[in-house]
Amino acid sequence: MSMMTVSEHEAASRPNEPVIRLLLIEDDESIALEVAEELTSRGYLVTHVENGLLGLEAAQSGRYDLMIVDRMLPELDGLSVIEILRRQKIMLPVLVLSALSAVDDRVNGLKAGGDDYLTKPFAMEELAARLEALLRRPTDSRETVLRVGPLEMDLIERKVFRNGREIELLPREFRLLEYMMRRPGTVLTRTMLLEDVWNYRFVPQTNLVDVHIGKLRRKIDVAGEPPLIHSIRGAGFSLRVSD
Amino acid sequence: MYRTDIFRTATFRLTLAFVVAMIGGILLQFGLVYAQMNGYESARSSDLLRREAALLVQESPERLEDEVRERSKTDLRVILNGASLFDLNHNRIVGDIRHWPEGLDVSDRTRRLTVAPPGDTPYEMRYLAIEVPGPDGASGDRILVLARSMHMADELRYIIKRAALISVIPMVLFALLAGLFLSHRALGRVKEMRQAIERIMAGDLHERLPAGREWDDIERLAGAVNRMLDRLEHLLDEIRDVGNDIAHDLRTPLARVRARLERALSSQDDPEHLKSIILRATQDLDQCFSVITALLRIGEIENGRRRAGFTSMDLSELIAGIADLYEPIAETQGLALTVSGIDSPIPLYGDTDLLNEVLANLVDNAIKFTPPGGEVGLIAGRDEAGCAWLKVYDTGIGIAEDERGAVLGRFYRSDKSRHIPGSGLGLSLVSAIVDLHGASLKISAYRPNREMVGSVFTIHFSGRSGSDHPINIT
Repeated sequence: MSMMTVSEHEAASRPNEPVIRLLLIEDDESIALEVAEELTSRGYLVTHVENGLLGLEAAQSGRYDLMIVDRMLPELDGLSVIEILRRQKIMLPVLVLSALSAVDDRVNGLKAGGDDYLTKPFAMEELAARLEALLRRPTDSRETVLRVGPLEMDLIERKVFRNGREIELLPREFRLLEYMMRRPGTVLTRTMLLEDVWNYRFVPQTNLVDVHIGKLRRKIDVAGEPPLIHSIRGAGFSLRVSD
Repeated sequence: MYRTDIFRTATFRLTLAFVVAMIGGILLQFGLVYAQMNGYESARSSDLLRREAALLVQESPERLEDEVRERSKTDLRVILNGASLFDLNHNRIVGDIRHWPEGLDVSDRTRRLTVAPPGDTPYEMRYLAIEVPGPDGASGDRILVLARSMHMADELRYIIKRAALISVIPMVLFALLAGLFLSHRALGRVKEMRQAIERIMAGDLHERLPAGREWDDIERLAGAVNRMLDRLEHLLDEIRDVGNDIAHDLRTPLARVRARLERALSSQDDPEHLKSIILRATQDLDQCFSVITALLRIGEIENGRRRAGFTSMDLSELIAGIADLYEPIAETQGLALTVSGIDSPIPLYGDTDLLNEVLANLVDNAIKFTPPGGEVGLIAGRDEAGCAWLKVYDTGIGIAEDERGAVLGRFYRSDKSRHIPGSGLGLSLVSAIVDLHGASLKISAYRPNREMVGSVFTIHFSGRSGSDHPINIT
């Protein structure tokens, strides 16, 4: 195995959108291959390196839009890579992968400057959704009114309208919808919702999130109108205007 | 082999030390006896000399010389072995002590002196020199010297030496034999224990050391080892059970995955159908992962490495959040979710994420096991000492008294709940987290009225995790 195992995966053609260059720093070859293949098929241009030093060099080149880094790496561990990058004011979005599940590790990963943290094993859908979320930073938080298709949210009055008709929402429903409206068109997994909307890190035994989404959906999507909240099978939910 | 083993036993070595000590003891004893007797003999000699001298000096000067001459010639040598009269210049007047013994002075005290007559071997005698008073109490001009040999003391020393030598040999032999016998016995017991331990190491975990009635140290030690083995065996059983449970809990979903994938492989269905089969297979795999993840987390928490995440927080806030999260699902299940006692902050020192997990697991469980129309409640408060407590109660199926300990173990499902899906690990996770916080977890029955029987889970935080920490929540 040579030190310079940098492999480029040809991105699948994705018309109308610029190619996203993704740097994958991961020493486990089989996981790296799976991830690279999956992301390539989703239109990313994936560069894979196997150790922290090479990864750091590659990240410093400034050629990448996004980085996935494993915590445990030969030469230089993942957190150090991030810390060095952040010290050099290189702010590319970073998703940390780890076999360590403890919340402490997660906190450390985020403290070091990671933008998101994913524990192995993970579903590819989860990874894809999180990358997408990292790329599409939420809509400017200074805005006071959010709009997605016929949906309008007044953040000051705390009111929601669909086609001008006011929808009464409970505070928790409002929070959930706000989160979704800030990320229109993005796939949001159950874990993401639980972590970001409610700030919980446990895996519920029941279909909690689905119930919340269901309640919200019943208020937002009434019969006769095209639905806005979509279930994405195997992944989660997405708020978007149907074509 | 066996004989050399005896010499290697601790008992035998102790015996040897004992023999040495015994010899020392005998020598000391005889030494003391000798010293006593010697002292007695010398006191007696001195006494005799003084008495004899006292008798002699009372004689008239002429008689005294005759007496001395007489004694030096014919005295029964039992008492006096020498007698002379000297003048003040230490010149002999009369008697058989020819020369003034060197070192002798005139006093009441007897002196042991070695005299070396020319051409003879030196010998030791006990001397007494006293002034013979002149007539009418005037100071005299003569000195009476009496001598007594040390033969009595020499004989004594000889006798005692012999007695000591002769008695040491049988005593040493006796001590050695006793040591051999005792170490042989001890070795026999140790050998039995060693064999038992070897059988245990070979895998026979039911074997125990011979402990008898624990009458002596070795038996008590064996008893302690046996109790340790009982505990270990129990733990091993538990681990084995857990291992079986894990295997079983993983096998079922894995078998489903396999069946689904096999079906997908052989089917001629359209891609959509294939996708749905594979999706369900991945869901089953996720369930496997959730079991594994939960196990790893429990292990991690039980190892107590998680106190790093502890902060000051407000239990009321946690409960309000969890209630908010679970209200919709309770509603869809036809349950009332009630919360009380959280109007004011309840300060607590702990790990927010883990405590949220505890609350979520308890509420999750309560909702799962409570039939529609029932109630799930959360109450919290502080006791007189200011320590936080919380209760999660339900009107569900209840937990039988004898099952209350077991439900906290891994993978336990009561017969009543076997049909309800779940990893079976939720409560053991709760238990591990509660332990980490130094809190206690109690399960009791909840009977709001005659028909309803539910459970109450009470978590009582101790001062350690509770309010003795400086916490300011405004």
